Amino acid sequence: MWVKFGLIALCVLAFGTAVWSVVPWFDIQHWAAGEQRTFQNAMAGALRGIQTGDPFATWSLCGATAAYGFFHALGPGHGKVLIGGAALASDASLKRLIVLTVLSSLAQAATAILLVGGLVFLLQMQSGDLADLTEQWLAPASYAAISAIGGVLIFRGLRNWHKMGQAKDPAHACCGHAHGPSVNDVTTLTSTRDAVVLITSIAMRPCTGALFVLVIAARFDAFAVGCLAVVTMGLGTAVFNLTVATSGVAARRLARLGARGNDSIQTVSAVLHVAGGILIIAVSLGMLLPYLT
Amino acid sequence: MLRKFWCLLFCLMCLGNLAKTHPHVFVDARTGFIFDDSGNLRALRISWTYDEFTTMILFESLNLDQDGDGLFNDADRAAVIEGETHWDPQYKGDVYLEVAGQDYPLGRPEAAVVTLENNQVEVSFDLPLSQPVMVGNTPAFLRLYDPVFYYAYTILPDNDGRNVPSGCDIQIIPFNPDEAERELQQELAALSREDTPSQQDVGRMFSDEVRLTCG
Repeated sequence: MWVKFGLIALCVLAFGTAVWSVVPWFDIQHWAAGEQRTFQNAMAGALRGIQTGDPFATWSLCGATAAYGFFHALGPGHGKVLIGGAALASDASLKRLIVLTVLSSLAQAATAILLVGGLVFLLQMQSGDLADLTEQWLAPASYAAISAIGGVLIFRGLRNWHKMGQAKDPAHACCGHAHGPSVNDVTTLTSTRDAVVLITSIAMRPCTGALFVLVIAARFDAFAVGCLAVVTMGLGTAVFNLTVATSGVAARRLARLGARGNDSIQTVSAVLHVAGGILIIAVSLGMLLPYLT
Repeated sequence: MLRKFWCLLFCLMCLGNLAKTHPHVFVDARTGFIFDDSGNLRALRISWTYDEFTTMILFESLNLDQDGDGLFNDADRAAVIEGETHWDPQYKGDVYLEVAGQDYPLGRPEAAVVTLENNQVEVSFDLPLSQPVMVGNTPAFLRLYDPVFYYAYTILPDNDGRNVPSGCDIQIIPFNPDEAERELQQELAALSREDTPSQQDVGRMFSDEVRLTCG
């Protein structure tokens, strides 16, 4: 039983490593940073347009923030790894994942709007302090929450695996009915509770770029325009994250192609839970560590 | 099998770390080397030109240009210099000088100047070496990087013709993704031989370098 689990796990790991090693990470990051810089400057130009009353400035700002959101999402945060890992592990449909992805990006935009609206307007906080608050407290809190979700996925995968083992044990199988979990028991992310936890862990940390757009827009007495621009930024981020969610679902389907029967499907599902969980924990811990040392 | 697993886990954590390539502030930097009369390297001249968006943030956070004429007055310039060059003792100004393979200690910024051009703030200052040093055949490397990559520095050629001693050569080596990838692969290969992984800064892998050789 454990041999089978190990074999499938090894296949998943080998496949993942192979895919990872052919992706030119450095080139992608370098390119994304260049694009981000372009759109960051475009945002500044559009904000100056708003200051001088250019009628088209709102549209150019929204266009620039949407593009910025997309390229910025290539970097860390924004729940990309969480969404990818969850898509891999869970049994949620692609449609449901799309809704979750868009909602988490919009919730992230809403956090930025609430933070700036609340702290800068009401408490007269400086934008620099706001950025510090985000980078020093909210970012690590979000990484910790995301790692915890990875832990839950691993736990669910192992628990399920354990249950399957017990069901095969003759001492338990004597009663004439199966103790093994049905396929439905191994699902993750299909409950509202799971969905809320996932969205919250991502939304906890707003993008500092969004905070700054809002603060500058507020300075030019155009907070409403800033809010609109931050929402389009969230949509840009969502578009990128959707490609990640889709890849996660595709990888899951690929892994299940070979599985026949309830037993195999459950084994694959358990392995995918563990693999997705390890992926999420490793990457988010890697991001959390610099804060702890 | 277990080792492979740990190796993969390490790779993933590296990826998480690499994924910190999340710059928010883009800086065009220019660098210069200042020598004393006896030909020793005495100080570095550093200039940072911030991107337009960061410049706007600076206006907001330091409450610059209160008269709204789009120009800096003396108070504005003083505020920028205070914020940009009076840094914490732990902070190294994201400036790292390597002489003879060792990190060389640097002093604190001097002679800072601030300008505002094309909607971009530029800060420049001298950074003296703790002690003047003779640079020989072994190249000295100057790198500008933020270890967590919140700031992304690009080193641009400096056409400021300072008196570099004859026989000295200055060359900018831009960041090369393939080179960085090769370095990372080497680190991983070293790890799988159960060597201790060196604690290399990720920011350093992403940095442009200026190479100075003399003689």
